Amino acid sequence: MGSVDMASFLAKRITLMIVTMLCASFVVFAVSEFTPGSVARRTLGPYATQQQVDLLSQRMHGNDPLMVRYGHWLGVLAGVMPDPLEDPANGLGFTDPRGSQYFGNFGYSTLYKLPVNDVMWKRLGHTAILAGIAFALIVPLSMLFGILSGLKEGGALDRILSVVCITFTSIPEFASGVFLVTLFVILWPILPGTSPLDGSEGGRWSVASQLVLPVAVLVLYDFGYVARMIRVSMIGVMEKPYIRTAILKGLNPRQVILGHALRNAMIAPFTVLLLQINFLIGGVVVTEMVFAYPGFGRMLLDSSMFGDIAMLEAATLVTVFVAVVTQFLGDLGYMLLNPRIRVR
Amino acid sequence: MSNDSEATPHPYIPVLIDDLKSGNVSRRHFLRTATLLGLSAMTAYKLSGETNPFISDAQAADALPKGGHLRIGMRCMEIKSPHQADFAEKSNVIRQVCEFLTFTGNDNITRPYLLERWEVSEDLKTWTLHIRKGVKWHNGRALNADDVVWNLKRVCDPAVGSSQLGLFTGYLVQEYDSGQKDASGKPKKASRIWSDNAIEKVDDLTVRLNCFAPQIAVPEHLFHYAMFITDPADKGMFGAGFNGTGPFELTSYTVGKSAVYKARKDYWGTGPYLDSFEFVDLGDSAGAGISAMASRQVDGLSEADAVQVNAMKRLPHVQPYSVLTSQTGVARMRVDHKIFGDPRVRKAMKLAVDHQKIIATSLLGAGVSAEDHHVAPVHPEYYALPKYGRDVVQAKKLLAQAGYPNGFEIDMVTRPDPIWELNTVQALAEQFKDIGVKVNIKPLPSAQYWEVWTKVPFSLTGWGHRPLGVMTLSLAYRTNAAWNESGYANPEFDALLDQADGILDPKKRSLVMAKIEKLMQEDGPIVQPFWRAFSTVMDKKVKGFTVHPSQYIFANQYAVGA
Repeated sequence: MGSVDMASFLAKRITLMIVTMLCASFVVFAVSEFTPGSVARRTLGPYATQQQVDLLSQRMHGNDPLMVRYGHWLGVLAGVMPDPLEDPANGLGFTDPRGSQYFGNFGYSTLYKLPVNDVMWKRLGHTAILAGIAFALIVPLSMLFGILSGLKEGGALDRILSVVCITFTSIPEFASGVFLVTLFVILWPILPGTSPLDGSEGGRWSVASQLVLPVAVLVLYDFGYVARMIRVSMIGVMEKPYIRTAILKGLNPRQVILGHALRNAMIAPFTVLLLQINFLIGGVVVTEMVFAYPGFGRMLLDSSMFGDIAMLEAATLVTVFVAVVTQFLGDLGYMLLNPRIRVR
Repeated sequence: MSNDSEATPHPYIPVLIDDLKSGNVSRRHFLRTATLLGLSAMTAYKLSGETNPFISDAQAADALPKGGHLRIGMRCMEIKSPHQADFAEKSNVIRQVCEFLTFTGNDNITRPYLLERWEVSEDLKTWTLHIRKGVKWHNGRALNADDVVWNLKRVCDPAVGSSQLGLFTGYLVQEYDSGQKDASGKPKKASRIWSDNAIEKVDDLTVRLNCFAPQIAVPEHLFHYAMFITDPADKGMFGAGFNGTGPFELTSYTVGKSAVYKARKDYWGTGPYLDSFEFVDLGDSAGAGISAMASRQVDGLSEADAVQVNAMKRLPHVQPYSVLTSQTGVARMRVDHKIFGDPRVRKAMKLAVDHQKIIATSLLGAGVSAEDHHVAPVHPEYYALPKYGRDVVQAKKLLAQAGYPNGFEIDMVTRPDPIWELNTVQALAEQFKDIGVKVNIKPLPSAQYWEVWTKVPFSLTGWGHRPLGVMTLSLAYRTNAAWNESGYANPEFDALLDQADGILDPKKRSLVMAKIEKLMQEDGPIVQPFWRAFSTVMDKKVKGFTVHPSQYIFANQYAVGA
């Protein structure tokens, strides 16, 4: 691949990424528009009179047309205009220490009463820790299970491991969460039942111990699925003529697997593995709820229930970004693993 | 609360004392009315012959251990302003820093708090509030009448969005035609303080409320969850470090995570015994509360439903608490709906319900039967009417008379959270089926539910605890009241309510209450299956905890043992 090809490939990908993110952000705005319930009503609560709701809605620019609000949001993000919600004349008390106009201003969270940048990155960091540890365990575990199962399709080991994988994958996260809590928190109390990530005064459990159960739930739920993908791919590879040749030329099984089968067997599951990053960043709401984990998923859920449009938009951009980047990395990985695949 | 001061006696107090001696009024009635009229709780308890629970509480408080950190699991919700607190959870966060003028105890008796005492005129229209001397804000400034006047006026401003406005409407706040029309062409109503002199500063430590109508429940209204006395310098805003007269300073507040407090050394009142205190947000998952208690990551929960309490009974370090409240769920019918407009249909719906079965299925037995009139046995003005049970035959007969011999089909809106609300709707729907009414359950997320709660023809609404039945009746069933979700408009009911608000004689008052309750049963827009027991759990090491029916947390009263 020439450097010009690569530059054009990257330019195309980045353009596509920006277009995808713009489309996704607009869809979120539009969907929020058709969701019943105004932010002003949610802020003031169920018992406020309509007069009170109307007044706050006006101050929050909630009555502006959809396109005007979307335009404002884009302008604020690009740093070409100040956030109208941070105007002191509104009396909302929204202030960002970075100022109301700068590039990357995701606006002000109406739910958390803080700039989005102050809340989201912290929550994303928490989830990244959870996701990182889980991913670091899922990859070797699923590879081990997948390869061992795929070595001899239908063999005793394959059957046993398949039952284990399918069983764990079939148990929903909330069920395995409750099961693990019953086991390790109530019956044999060696682990904390919730994970507020708080090791400060009054907390008798270390932050590390608070990560054990949520990570365990994610790994149990996810590794079986990935292992099944690797197994199928491994079975396909083990039937290839070059593997037969390798065996016939007298290589030992270890050399056959590591030297010939593994790299080829990982081509197809590679994308599946990278997709797990998307899931682990944006889709672990249930695990975060069960363990009261202050992560990105719970933040996303709370924001969408409250109608916190600035937070929802920022979170959407992050999840789309993660999805696009992992897809891009998947494509690059494909090229590295299989030299026949080239940039087009 | 132990240092109540004596007030100038209201002319009705001697009458009350005579009535108590002759047995014409109950002790509970005497205690409540006498204290509202300005008699100190200490004197009222002495005269009634009952033990003042606060004396024993105060004695027990002396023995409480000092120091330590306490963590209570509770949702840390978005809070805009103390005066906009609309959920007990929000109010709990603020209450450790800011305080109320009065205090309604677990015994339902209201005492002065930031007030030293109050006096009320014979006609119940002029209330003189004497502010307690020596109360200081965190910044060292003394609490004064200007602070109190500013807060009282602020909650009356519709732009603020305080629910206190609804309670003050009818004696301090008046509704008027704004001259504008809504989308349907109806005139829009607005609210304002009825007179410039309605909330008056008398001197540095005295404020007078000049009301246009008699109201006996003023001190109880001043304990409503949004009626915080905040520092005017904070302009009604809320956040870490905001000023207050309360026992704690809020050092950090993170929505969805925690509220952290540091004890104040120069607090004027009881406690605090703790060095620091914390609310920990465990989210909406009921399981997280159980897990956190099991692994002792929190020392208690602000609320635990019957399922959680049952699950935690096996944990040896957990102590359950429960109190009967006037918290309830009502299946309310819009009276402007073509089917529910007929009182016979509404009565038939009431007769279709087996209250005990609903309590057993949806509350796991944690409640008592209600009587379809929204006045609870724990309310001082409650009048015990003859009970009626389920009568499917009579209900069908009434439906036939109303033109629905084969019943009808209707959507019922509810929320999935808290779970007892959805469970109640499911149990009710099964029972309505027996009289031919097919109910289609429509659960909506809370945020969307509150958009339509006053509009849909049929829904279940959860109503919080209030110390008086008439408070809820005024808020929910008076013609054009802001929270009148059923559209109920009955001049006879309104007139009776006005009458009840101004009667001091408990006997005469109970006669009016009997009429109100009967009217609600025969004509009213609600099917009310139960009164909920409010329950929670604490670690046994938590001392000084008593459960308050309003779900209020007073961390200054608690301590942690070994």
